[in-house]
Amino acid sequence: MDDQSGVGRDLTLAAACVAAVFLFALLSPAFGTAGNAATVLRNGYELWLIALGMTLLMAMGAIDVSVGAVMGVTAILTGQALLADLPLGVVMLVGPAAGAMLGLCAGAVVVWGRIPAIVATLGLFGVFRMLIFLVLGGQWLSGLPADLTRVVDWRAAGVPAGLLIVALAYGAAWVFLRRTTYGPHLLAIGFDEDRARLMGLAVTRVRLATFAASGALCGLAGVFYIAIYRNVSMTIGADIALEAVAAVILGGTPIFGGRISLVGTVLGVLLLRILQNGLLLIGVPSLWQTVVTGALLLGVLSAEVVLRRARTGAA
Amino acid sequence: MNHALRRNLVPVMLCVLWVALLGTLAATHAWILSPRTLTSVLQFATILSLAAMGMGLVVIAGGAGIDLSVGGTISLSAVLGMMGLGAGLPGYWLPMVCLGCGVMLGLFNGLLVTRLGILPLIVTLGTFYLFSGLALALTGGGAIAGVPDWAVGWGRARWGALPMPFITVVLPAFVLLSGLMALTSWGRWIVAMGDNERAARLAGLPVDRVRLMLYALSGALAGLGGFISLAWLGSARPNIGVNVELEALTAVLLGGVAITGGRGGLVGVVSAALLVVMLRTALLQIGINTVWQTGAIGALLVVALLVNRFSNSRG
Repeated sequence: MDDQSGVGRDLTLAAACVAAVFLFALLSPAFGTAGNAATVLRNGYELWLIALGMTLLMAMGAIDVSVGAVMGVTAILTGQALLADLPLGVVMLVGPAAGAMLGLCAGAVVVWGRIPAIVATLGLFGVFRMLIFLVLGGQWLSGLPADLTRVVDWRAAGVPAGLLIVALAYGAAWVFLRRTTYGPHLLAIGFDEDRARLMGLAVTRVRLATFAASGALCGLAGVFYIAIYRNVSMTIGADIALEAVAAVILGGTPIFGGRISLVGTVLGVLLLRILQNGLLLIGVPSLWQTVVTGALLLGVLSAEVVLRRARTGAA
Repeated sequence: MNHALRRNLVPVMLCVLWVALLGTLAATHAWILSPRTLTSVLQFATILSLAAMGMGLVVIAGGAGIDLSVGGTISLSAVLGMMGLGAGLPGYWLPMVCLGCGVMLGLFNGLLVTRLGILPLIVTLGTFYLFSGLALALTGGGAIAGVPDWAVGWGRARWGALPMPFITVVLPAFVLLSGLMALTSWGRWIVAMGDNERAARLAGLPVDRVRLMLYALSGALAGLGGFISLAWLGSARPNIGVNVELEALTAVLLGGVAITGGRGGLVGVVSAALLVVMLRTALLQIGINTVWQTGAIGALLVVALLVNRFSNSRG
């Protein structure tokens, strides 16, 4: 039953993406071009990576609202590694490594402190934001070399390397979820943490590892951020936590955990970015983006509840 | 003795922090402890105390209750109030419009939580972005000037060293709500449903109605905060509520409210809100870079959570 409704949901989301594409293509001549399609995909890189980590966390019944600040800190570190002329391989590892450390910090506070993830990560959001302020000191980090940009935009048979890296990350997550015990354990914890512990699962280890993995993905998103925008401002990542949560929920991974849909998250991110790009091209100011995302999140959640009630009421 | 200390660890910590802060200031920067500082602390604490009281009651009532949208509500009700004036409403309607907007926004949260059964953290995370996004989008990011003179006169007036808004709004609200908690059955219901919701429902308490009212109350207090920001600053700033949710949540937890509900009171919450503002003001006056403030408050939130958890655990 879960699988059925999951597939149905993915199809609905895919249909929504197609419908949005047609609608915007009708309304704006600039939307339906190959160049714009590439832009939409390229704008999705960071969000796809961060939403992947968020999907794992939410499947486990956790959440991390500090992801934007983690991306900010790691982007700054990556930028400075780039300026310090370190070898490119090292530069690309700095972000994920630092991100994993910060994720592990959040995980340690949540797991060992036994406090709700939302409140703990809200506090850490403040702390990480301070790190960004301290490093940047009110300035912008800008004028970065284009080395990373060339890596991300390098094309293998027409497919940009950035998209390949994102696909690899999702592929790796899929293998871990389906081919190792990590997947069942993650879902068991999300379904009922106490029962998972009684069953003898290594709950603490799985939870810490998931927080660290999400942090590493935020770090990778930081690398992409530097590659694509080549500057960092003080407000980096302010809204990306909302976008990630919205994409995950759109994709059908529930807030309570216990179920996961990677395909759903991929499509959720795609739909968000199509909407944002399309609305911008038909002349809606970019300030409305958060409003649209927030309304979409609440609308989908409400519609889900209403539909579920209608279904159980009819049965 | 040891047991009593452990049960009251958070209030003890709050007292220690107050003594430590005042003691340090008296020893090193005695000039800060002046009536002028008192005025400025109370002025800054006015909006935060209102938001923290609303958030405090929502958290005490349990059910994973939290209101992350308070900051957005403050900004949006201030902006909507001024837009109402711009649309031709007479000036004396301003407080009512702000209050009314706050109530509506709070009711919106409450309905999503109680009628649709969506987790409060996800509802208010969505409305946090929705409300603050709307405040920014409606104003285009700029401030709206033109607050009536009588309001500004009231907002900046003082009675001795005490700012008028603090005396005429915060103190009455505090007395009223404390009375509600201590003397009426509503107060006992709030604590009871936070302590054990199932038992409260079985005993026939109107849990959902009380919870709906508390979200509306939190919105109303935030709406009043929005009006006070207008009267104080003389214009509606769409970003006035930024970070208020973080500070209010810190004040609530530092004030001894258990994040799981059922424990805590408003005396602690308001005293912690004053501490947070005092700390911020002291850092500002000593000349420590403002970037430390968000971090210090975030760290304080995490520490308060950990201490809270430690004092709750029986083992």
